[in-house]
Amino acid sequence: MITRFFKFLYVFSALFIIQSCKKSGCTDPEALNYNIEAQKDDNSCLYEDYDKLSLLTNLADNYIIPSLDAYKNKIVTLNTHVDSFIENPSISNLTLIRTKWEDALLNWQDIGFLDFGPSEYILLRKQTNTFPIDTTELNNFISLADWNLGYSSSYDSKGLQALDYLLFKPGHTDNELITYFQNNENAKNYLKALAEDLNQNINYVSDQWISYREDFINDFEVTPSNLSTNSQGSSISNVINALCLHYEFYVRRGKVGLPLGVFNGFSQLELPELVECYYSGKSTQNLVRSVNSLRKYVSGSSYLNNDNGLGLDDYMNFVNAQQNSQQLSTVIDNQFLTILDELNNINGSLGEEIINNKSKMTQTYQELQQLVPYIKVDMTSALGVLITYQDNDGD
Amino acid sequence: MTGINNWITHLTKNHVSIFPLVVFRIIFGILMFFSTLRFILKGWVHDLYEVPTYFFTYYGFDWVSPLPNPFMYVLFILLLIACIFIIFGLFYRTNTVLFFLIFTYIELIDKTNYLNHYYFISLISLLLILLPANSYFSLDTYFGICKRKKTIKAWQINILKLQIGFVYFFAGISKLNYHWLFEGQPLINWLKHQSDFPIIGKLLLYDFTAYLFSWTSAIFDIFIFFLLINKRSRLISYFVAFIFHIMTAIMFPIGVFPYVMIASTLIFFNDNFHKKIIGFISKYSLLKSNNFSEEKTNYQTKTNSILKVFLIGFFTLQIFLPLRFMLYPGKLFWTEQGYRFSWRVMLIEKAGYSQFYIHEPKMDRKMLIQNRDFLTPQQEKMMSTQPDMILQYAHYLSKTFKDSSLVESNGEMIKMGTNPKVTAEITVSLFNKGSRKFIDSEKNLSEIKRGFGNKEWILDYEN
Repeated sequence: MITRFFKFLYVFSALFIIQSCKKSGCTDPEALNYNIEAQKDDNSCLYEDYDKLSLLTNLADNYIIPSLDAYKNKIVTLNTHVDSFIENPSISNLTLIRTKWEDALLNWQDIGFLDFGPSEYILLRKQTNTFPIDTTELNNFISLADWNLGYSSSYDSKGLQALDYLLFKPGHTDNELITYFQNNENAKNYLKALAEDLNQNINYVSDQWISYREDFINDFEVTPSNLSTNSQGSSISNVINALCLHYEFYVRRGKVGLPLGVFNGFSQLELPELVECYYSGKSTQNLVRSVNSLRKYVSGSSYLNNDNGLGLDDYMNFVNAQQNSQQLSTVIDNQFLTILDELNNINGSLGEEIINNKSKMTQTYQELQQLVPYIKVDMTSALGVLITYQDNDGD
Repeated sequence: MTGINNWITHLTKNHVSIFPLVVFRIIFGILMFFSTLRFILKGWVHDLYEVPTYFFTYYGFDWVSPLPNPFMYVLFILLLIACIFIIFGLFYRTNTVLFFLIFTYIELIDKTNYLNHYYFISLISLLLILLPANSYFSLDTYFGICKRKKTIKAWQINILKLQIGFVYFFAGISKLNYHWLFEGQPLINWLKHQSDFPIIGKLLLYDFTAYLFSWTSAIFDIFIFFLLINKRSRLISYFVAFIFHIMTAIMFPIGVFPYVMIASTLIFFNDNFHKKIIGFISKYSLLKSNNFSEEKTNYQTKTNSILKVFLIGFFTLQIFLPLRFMLYPGKLFWTEQGYRFSWRVMLIEKAGYSQFYIHEPKMDRKMLIQNRDFLTPQQEKMMSTQPDMILQYAHYLSKTFKDSSLVESNGEMIKMGTNPKVTAEITVSLFNKGSRKFIDSEKNLSEIKRGFGNKEWILDYEN
């Protein structure tokens, strides 16, 4: 009886599938069984098989660890060139050290949003890329030859942005800058200290990840009462909280909003001196890089070869998260693309663009703003993650 | 007619054993002791009542505010002490009054922290004031503070059963909505994050499971009261309730609520069961239940009519509150008008993002408000999806900036005037269907009066 029933079901469903092949099928290009001829979606889309362990393993092994390593290597190279510059402050060495600094900063954008676990523990972002720089304090450090980069009060006089100031010192031609370093032992020492400090921090994080990786992929932080839900302290929650926080406060607000004047009272007067890389003017490329890496990270792509793997997008598809009757993952990816499109039209530095082309930048900012609810509301709610830094019962 | 009268008399005036009530008192005291202790140890007294600078009070209760440091802790310590006195039944009446007043006061401070089970505890503690749960197996009787009774009137136990029945029944009724029954929302989404649940983890990934859970829990909630009062189905239905609550406790972060329900539902069991519990406790305690000589109890023949009116009002209100949402237009889950105090537990999946602007009167230029300068993350999160809180926050902002002068970065001086305009751009996602605009972003919220009227500045859901 039962076999007969199943036989019937089998034939019936086979008929149904043959029937439906003609016009309807999966219409989502992201899906594995995307049917290019299909005109009507029949909810048959299949996505990469999702499970949390594979997702976290992919993020750790194919993005996080390689990206930390890549940044670490750039910092090591930077240190070598700082040494040779100190030994011989020449124009060619200055050019080299600037290039190496530029590389390192670009690589930093790939890992800025990984501020959880070891990075969060030592406040890696604050130690590495705080801006604007407190130039008065920095110059005092140098002139008095008295600094302690370990103090949190020194965070806005160190890091990659302090190098931006020292290597592109305003009011100095390249030759004057060389003279400045040649005659100033303290400045040389400070330069050296900055590079070493960067090195020490990334070394710590990179070393810690060797053991933290296990905890991360196995989600050890969970309490027995909520098993592997994405509760506060779980890896998924850490990943998403760090991602949203970084995007909202350090990309949208820090890199664009603040200098644009969006947060500047009623006058909304622009404050271009607040841009990243104010002295070198390298702000645009870093913003582009940071948006690109966020996109890559969300899609679960491999850091080294861009191969698509399990990412947050697959997780969103897995829970069938929708936005305006589209897949949320598609909406988010499209928004990333829209932002990148906007950014491609920027010719000069962000500081120049803000002054010369404010309305254009305001539009860019609005596109950056638009992504906030998509990731902070739609994504977190779909993935069952709370954006809160305070735990509490719910009901 | 006499049949009904007999039945009512049976349920109210009959003499029944006091055991279930006594056990209820002890269990309630113990549970409240540990949940209060848990609250203190988690640091929530500090986080919820000392850290915030603003508190979302209830309409009509704006006079409630947290006590200055360290008196909030004093309140919580008093709660703990009251619990101990309730457990031992010493100065019972004073301590139940104290418990009810302090607990309710704390809950009224900030609606950010509203939970249905806090409301339940307030109601139960109010009822306990009226019940002679200290008339047996208590220090009050030991010291002769009150008379010892072995039997009480039936209503004095049935009223607790009725209260528990209300909670389940209305929780069940509130599940009879389209999203819960036909979309499996919000369980369908929540369960997908539970694939590591022991044994049944993989089953939770199927949509079917969410529907099964939704329908079962709706049916469970609606009928459990009737199954519990029936002698034949009591044991099995209690077992089902036990499993149900334990599962929710493991899956969702709902704190002590499941344990409160598991414990309080014991009151449905018969006298013998409770007698055994008391026997068990007295074996290990100084209070010996069999030491109590029985005294002929002297019942008041006149029922207190004030009490009667009070209780009828009490339960009528509890019928009205869960149904009051029908007086409002629009979609309940979207507007949340008439949402609280209705036993809607884990029914909604909602998240929001809000940007508030304060306007200067002269040129109507607006300034973006950093919510975290004024609210805790938890307050911001709750406020962003709940219109009454949005309005309160807007009023608070307007009041904060009122009559102030701000100096801009270009040196311009801005006078804010007597009632600065406040607007907000808010997007909300309901049941993960995508965020959409929540309220009229042009509306000056500082001009809108608070109250129970319909908030027509909430945009329609289908928009």
